[in-house]
Parts: sequence; C-alpha cells; structure tokens
Amino acid sequence: MSDSVSENQETNDSLQSFQSMSLNDAGEATHEQENSHKCDKQKIDILLKPTGNAPIMKKKKWTVEGDKPISWIAEFMKRYMKLEPNEKLFLYVNQTFAPSPDQIMKNLYDCYSTEGKLVLHYCKTPAWG
Amino acid sequence: MANDREVLREVWEGKLPIAFKLDPDEVVELQQPDHFYLMVPRLSYFPLVTDKVRKHFLRYVANDKQDREMWLEYDGQPIKWHYPIGVLFDLLITSDDQLPWNITVHFDKFPENQIYRFSNKETVESYFMACLKEADVLKHRGQIASNMQKKDHNQLWLDKFEQFWAVNRKLMEVSSEQEHFKYIPFRCYMEDGYRQKLIKPVAEDGRRKTLQDLLHEMFPGRNNVNIKTHGMIPPLETPLQWMSEHLSYPDNFLH
Repeated sequence: MSDSVSENQETNDSLQSFQSMSLNDAGEATHEQENSHKCDKQKIDILLKPTGNAPIMKKKKWTVEGDKPISWIAEFMKRYMKLEPNEKLFLYVNQTFAPSPDQIMKNLYDCYSTEGKLVLHYCKTPAWG
Repeated sequence: MANDREVLREVWEGKLPIAFKLDPDEVVELQQPDHFYLMVPRLSYFPLVTDKVRKHFLRYVANDKQDREMWLEYDGQPIKWHYPIGVLFDLLITSDDQLPWNITVHFDKFPENQIYRFSNKETVESYFMACLKEADVLKHRGQIASNMQKKDHNQLWLDKFEQFWAVNRKLMEVSSEQEHFKYIPFRCYMEDGYRQKLIKPVAEDGRRKTLQDLLHEMFPGRNNVNIKTHGMIPPLETPLQWMSEHLSYPDNFLH
C-alpha cells in the first residue's frame, strides 16, 4: 500500500513539470483551464492499460488534476512513450467508447471510475467502434 | 419509450438562420463577397452543413489558402465544430434580436490551440458515434449500441427523421424489468466547459426525478441556475426520463 502511494507521489511530480511545459505551448486553451472551478482541481487517480499493439508504459498509475482534458492526457502519453508526432493514440473508457478530446478527467471519473480509479485503455489503432 | 412523436418532430425540425461572412482581411478580390445566408438544423454539426459556404467564399481568398480547413468565428471566439449547432447557439446567443446569427468565416490562421481539426466528415461521424456509445453506456451499460450493426450506425447518421428514429427507438427503450434508464446522459454547459455526473431518473423511493432534482444534485445550494435546451426553458418539474427520451440530441445526450 505504502509503495503505491509513494509511486503516485513521484509520478505526480513529473506530471506537474509536464503541465508547465504545456502551459507555454498552448496559450488560450490553458488560460481557460486556469479559470475553471476550484472543485476541478481535485486530484484523480488514473490507471493506463495498453491494448492491441500499444507500447507498455512503465508507470501505469498516475494522478492528474480533474480539469485536465483527454487531449492533454493523450499528448502527455505520446511524449512519455516517445511516439512520433504523426502517430496516433486512442484512449477508451470502459473498453467501449472514446471520450471527447475536450472531456475533462473529473467528468469521466465521476461517471466511470471503479474502486476510486479511472481506467483508460489505450492503443495506436482504433479498438472499440 | 419515446412515444410523444409530435415533440420529437418539433425538436428535429428546429432550424436557425445564419449569415456567414468572410473575414474582410482574407478577401483578395477587389469586390467583397456577399453574405451567405443559410437555415441550418439545430441538431446538426457545422462541418456537415457548410460545404456551400466554403464554395461560395473560396474564390475570394488567396490561392494558397483555398485548400486550408475552413473555420468559423463568432464574437472573437472560434466556434467548436464538435458541439451540435443548437447547443452553440444557446450558449453564445442570449437574445432572439441577434438573428440572423452572424458568423465570420476564415481560411487562414487556424486556431490550433482552441479548436480541433475535423479534416473530414468521417471525423465528425466517429465523434458522433462515440458520444452515442457513451450515452448507451449510461443508459443500458452499452449493451444496445454494441449489438448494433454497421447499417444501424449508418442509419443514425442519416438526416431523415423516420430512418433515424427507426434505429434510435432501440436506444431509447427501457428493459422489461425496469421502466427507466440506468442513468440519464446529459451535459451541463458552463462558461468554462461542461459537467457530467451519474444521475438516476428515479429516486431511492421510486419517485420519478425531475429537472429540479438534477439541478440540486449538480449544483447543491444554488437556486438561481438557468437551464436552456433547444432554445427554450424547460419547466423544472419535467421528469428526467421523459426529457432524456424526447429532448436528447441525436447523440443521445441532453445538452
């Protein structure tokens, strides 16, 4: 138990530094996020699972802020796995549907989390539907 | 079951008058192009109805910009093509005096950081189908949409009322042992995006929940929340199950 907590702590830090990178990249879009409601700053635990031909991520458990959109998570994962910019990454919830790129983590967590975690499956080619 | 056909028809036929104009800075001809007027369905998406707009303005922009992806702007903000047109209108326009809706068309300087590229109509279609599947996960644990065949999916994407509803009625059905959906698929839009939550159409004691109950659960302690959908203000005592069956957009979400 204590192991997984510390892992989350550590990964959280690296996500934070990535966030500051993307702040410089995307002016307008992140400005909107800064204004968003306080409750969305709630931290969300996510579990990333590869499917099909997707590369495995060394760290599967991450903690992200609730107001982060799916497109942000996908960009982060692409950089983490060192995918080419033109390579695609598809994320799925419940192994059923691909959430909208502007869907925020808090909404997904509120609707589709199990045992306190939001499970996202990812792959490089469309998997479900 | 969604059986109030008059309401369904009324919602389906909702249209908005729009005046498109090309950004004057992008005009390379001596003469400014005329505005382009269009009645567009509230339930549709901009990339599906703006082929004619593109054609109309294309010859007024520089040659090297003609192949670029067209994008739309209202009041200084790029328009999010992936929201249904009626949702965009209800969010952006507060008074009917502002009709027709004046939208500026651009071919240059696509705002990458603010809106997504749609590249082709298939992108819009797959986005639409993903929403529909998500709605079905909330209503029936996804069992109905996943059992549908490709031809059913195609039929949901056609723009004919009868064909759409021939398939969509299956998505609006309730199982025999339950008289309602598991959860109500809805998105509540605020200034900075939308919120979703798990909300059941009935209370613990079996009472049918209403729009009022949804607002209490979404915004506890706030009594001054205004709700608008399809350009109207629904009565707060409207049952959620009925709303979901009759006032959902084709993606099966209430917006």
